[in-house]
Amino acid sequence: MQAQDRLHWSTEQGEVIEKDGIRITPESRSLTIRWPNGGLVWNRPLAVVVDRGGTTERIPIVDVTRWIVWGAAGFAALVFLLGGILSRRK
Amino acid sequence: MESGMGNEQRPLDIVSQRITDTIGRLFDIARPGAVFSEPVEAEGYIAITAKEIVTGMGMGLGAGSGEEPAGEDGKPGSGGEGAGGGGGGYSYGRPVAVISIGRDGVQVTPVLDATKIGLALLTAWGAIAITTMRMRRFSRRSLG
Repeated sequence: MQAQDRLHWSTEQGEVIEKDGIRITPESRSLTIRWPNGGLVWNRPLAVVVDRGGTTERIPIVDVTRWIVWGAAGFAALVFLLGGILSRRK
Repeated sequence: MESGMGNEQRPLDIVSQRITDTIGRLFDIARPGAVFSEPVEAEGYIAITAKEIVTGMGMGLGAGSGEEPAGEDGKPGSGGEGAGGGGGGYSYGRPVAVISIGRDGVQVTPVLDATKIGLALLTAWGAIAITTMRMRRFSRRSLG
């Protein structure tokens, strides 16, 4: 098994959906990790590509929950780190 | 008379093949179709749910056989064989957004996971509170 088969990061487009002259194409990004007799897949929505009569617009899908969770974790880690540094200085 | 034993698959090979097939199906969720739901039409709108999926799986199996050495009386020893396997997996899905197509155009509305956000904020608050308490205790010791 080659390294690119073990770890694969790809962006793919789904089936086109059409309504009242608007064509939308969903996009997803997946991370695939394979190992002998097992594997892991992380797949998430990335954006929707909207086509209105030739004008194309890309609307990103923002995972607000993930941003808040990682933001809170990052802030707590920063406070923990700064607290440790300040305690040593005193 | 031919026994035809050569064409028969051993149980271990059958299980191994099933494991390979199951793991192969795991990677089907890497397609966009797994993340975006089928479009639902109602009141002039089309709605599609977008979700995040994480799936992991691992399996293993092994087999072995052995023969007891011949005894002092020259009789051949008895033999035996055994096989075993196990596996485990994890799957997780969470809605991320709802895409709606209608008269107003295309709208992407984020879906908030209140439980996850609440737990994250509570954990962060806990970590900050512990750090603040430790800093205060340290300051008191330094002053004293």
